[in-house]
Amino acid sequence: MEVLRNALDFSDFPRVDLCVAALVASFLLIFPLFHFSSFAMATMIQFLMFSLYGMGWNTIGGYGGQVDLGKAQYVGIGAYTTSVMLIRWDVPFWVSMPVGMSFAVLWSFIIGYPLFRLKGHYFAIATIATSLVLKDLFEVWDFVGAARGLEISPIKYHPPDFLRLIFKEDVYYYYVILGFFFLGIFYVNWFRKSRLGFQLRSIKDNEDVARSLGINVHWAKVKTYAIATAFVSLVGSFHACYIKNIEPEDTMSLDISILIALMAMLGGAGSLWGPIIGAGVLIPLKSYLKEWLGAKAGLVGIDLIIYAVIIMLISAVEPRGIWGIVEKARRRRSV
Amino acid sequence: MDILVGSLAAGILIGMVLALVAIGLTIIFGVMDIVNFAHGEFLMIGMYTGLLTAQGMGIDPLFTLPFAAVVGFLLGVICYYGFVKFLLRGPMVAQLLGTFGLMLFLRNVALLVFGSEDRAVHSGILVGRSFEVGMGVVIPATKLAAAGLSVVAFVTVWMLMNRTKVGKALTATALNSQGARYMGIPTDRMNALAWGIGAASVTIAGALIVNFWSVNPFVGLLFTMIAFAIVALGGFGSVPGAFFAGLVVGIITEIPGIWDFFTYTFNLDWMSRVPMTSFKYMWVYLAYFVIMVVRPRGLFGWKY
Amino acid sequence: MTLLEVQALTKEFGGLRANCDISFNVHQGEMVGIIGPNGAGKTTLFNCISGLYPVTSGRIIFAGRDITRLKAHEVARLGLARTFQVYAATGDLTVEENVMVGCFLRTRSRSQAMARAKQILYDLKLEDLSHYRVSELPVAAQKRVTMATALGLDPKLLLLDEVAAGLNPNEVEEVMANIKHVHSDLGITVMLIEHVMEMVMKISHRIVVLDYGEKIAEGDPQSIAKDPRVIKAYLGERYVREHGGELSPSS
Repeated sequence: MEVLRNALDFSDFPRVDLCVAALVASFLLIFPLFHFSSFAMATMIQFLMFSLYGMGWNTIGGYGGQVDLGKAQYVGIGAYTTSVMLIRWDVPFWVSMPVGMSFAVLWSFIIGYPLFRLKGHYFAIATIATSLVLKDLFEVWDFVGAARGLEISPIKYHPPDFLRLIFKEDVYYYYVILGFFFLGIFYVNWFRKSRLGFQLRSIKDNEDVARSLGINVHWAKVKTYAIATAFVSLVGSFHACYIKNIEPEDTMSLDISILIALMAMLGGAGSLWGPIIGAGVLIPLKSYLKEWLGAKAGLVGIDLIIYAVIIMLISAVEPRGIWGIVEKARRRRSV
Repeated sequence: MDILVGSLAAGILIGMVLALVAIGLTIIFGVMDIVNFAHGEFLMIGMYTGLLTAQGMGIDPLFTLPFAAVVGFLLGVICYYGFVKFLLRGPMVAQLLGTFGLMLFLRNVALLVFGSEDRAVHSGILVGRSFEVGMGVVIPATKLAAAGLSVVAFVTVWMLMNRTKVGKALTATALNSQGARYMGIPTDRMNALAWGIGAASVTIAGALIVNFWSVNPFVGLLFTMIAFAIVALGGFGSVPGAFFAGLVVGIITEIPGIWDFFTYTFNLDWMSRVPMTSFKYMWVYLAYFVIMVVRPRGLFGWKY
Repeated sequence: MTLLEVQALTKEFGGLRANCDISFNVHQGEMVGIIGPNGAGKTTLFNCISGLYPVTSGRIIFAGRDITRLKAHEVARLGLARTFQVYAATGDLTVEENVMVGCFLRTRSRSQAMARAKQILYDLKLEDLSHYRVSELPVAAQKRVTMATALGLDPKLLLLDEVAAGLNPNEVEEVMANIKHVHSDLGITVMLIEHVMEMVMKISHRIVVLDYGEKIAEGDPQSIAKDPRVIKAYLGERYVREHGGELSPSS
């Protein structure tokens, strides 16, 4: 009961935040009624997916300060579990998704245990290395389609199929992921106030102090890493049903890992709204830049150049992200 | 037997070039504790510089090294003053993502300018020639020359770091940057110099590699990861460590050849069924992971 | 009853001996001061006892259990809490949240942890500061916050590392009142490293003196103040000249 109450309790935020959040939430709920283009719809789904990825990353990366650049491997585990189970054994999404999460969590324990002996850049690069190893393995593993990947062909099913999550119209996908999005917010809101959340923030502050406060630092990190993993794997499973065509090169690439970390940082790592703000800025920017400059103007790569410049500016000028700027302005006003 | 010796020889030769790739990373890391994700992109730019000056001026690719060195040095210094300098006061997350942004930037500018297709060197004194060193082992002349020149460049950089006043100032900055500043060493300029030397050594490596490796804008990441593995094995900040680790990692990249040798020698069926060539670089990543977890300071590291 | 036994504790860093063959006991309900010049190995001793450093040799027994090989968090769970000399709080935790981190050791419930934290802050007269971030506070307040955080663990033994260093006389009085409250009202055994002689001499029952990593003296404040080795090592020639070779607790 207390858990539920804490998850739904946002009272420690200023009222302005809650008003804005309520406005955004209601906009998200009625967004499909506006009948924007299908491109806008796809962008919104991407935004919600990446918000969730970012929320997952934020638990370990933001609250815990452990820069993880290997989240794509868990996207892959979730996506592949769901695809394989659906294609081979016709297992519905609602079963394969928790199975995928279990696999991902299991893998996160296996690699997390040695991984968290490392700190700082060493940790970050090692997460990249594990992610690339897994990607290389998937690229030669015939059972999961090797480098060709897997394709869920929608003709076999009768959309709208709510069990298998096979739909013709994007609006169904939109509401499914929106549901997860709200659940994710409640979960993180509970997490940040939970025992583990407090321990993790203390670890970020000073590991020796945390240790002498009775916190098993290594285990707290491994646990939180598993939580972050579960988030990412869930969205990976959704990704499989939504995109229907997955291959190691784009599901598990380093770019996905970096994008996840980047959005959380752009928005403001270690705050509840940060990853959502980051995804809200970056995803539309990225897809529209690609559409206008890449596809229409024929300038290959220019979208990524602009995107790179944004990364560079943020990291050099305000590493605490957009939320950091908001907080700073607030504190200046209150002083 | 010839496969084994051939693989080992190829591994050692490529390892010498890889050591030169890694020395730049280790200098930059040693001097200012920054991990440069754009390192492989510097190499890619070195490859294009070698290729284009060779084609544009009609000279042999092996003579383009001075151009590559100048381009690399300028690139490093510009990156430092224009960008990296502002990262230094920020937290580690910002530094990581910042150099990652630099990597994306350079890669996509290259994509915009050069296009995405593979390009390779087709002419040159050494291209297509090879030596037979006995036991059926054939070594391409380009690789041999690249390895030899890499060693020369490596030793030059090493001498620069150890035997000159500037090198000593760099080392002082690496050990204690604040202390060095109080001693009157212009640490900001030292940092820029580290970026210049680091970038120059890797662009030289790029100009050498382009003789036997085709170039496209996406070639960088692989080399960045290889360089990370070498630096991890050799110890972050250690120059001699980078050399030996380079040789080891060079041999690791030849594991498929060694695997083939055992497959044929012992005639093992299960071994032949493993698609070893697809795992070629996985071993490098795996090596990095294992090295870091088992011995985070590397074999020769002094910084942790 | 003996709460903490340190037996022949030695800690080496490479070739450097920071602690050499140190033995002493702390009894239940005592207040023990550790003094010694800078670099005498006082903080290293705390780090060894609290499990942050692995010891080179020797044994540490706490409440009848050998804790020599235990990790820091295991030691803390047994009821041995400590504060840090430099409390580098860079993050975004508020004072109350900081104390809650400590309280979460004994409970999983957020509301219980919060209630306990509020109680501790009230007892130490810190409740006005509850909603400030620790990094925003002056040093004096930060030091008291670290005491409050350590109290959240419900410790049997509290190690205080220079909680009064760098404070003005009024602040020292406040900290002293806090320590007395912890010791007599809460019944927690206290061991403190301190440079502020006025305080340590006044409140300690017993004092252990370290110099160059070795224990050079142990005893009640009066005899320590008269011990020629202590005076030479710690107080220096000048102090001897000005105070006639005795450290008076009232000075």
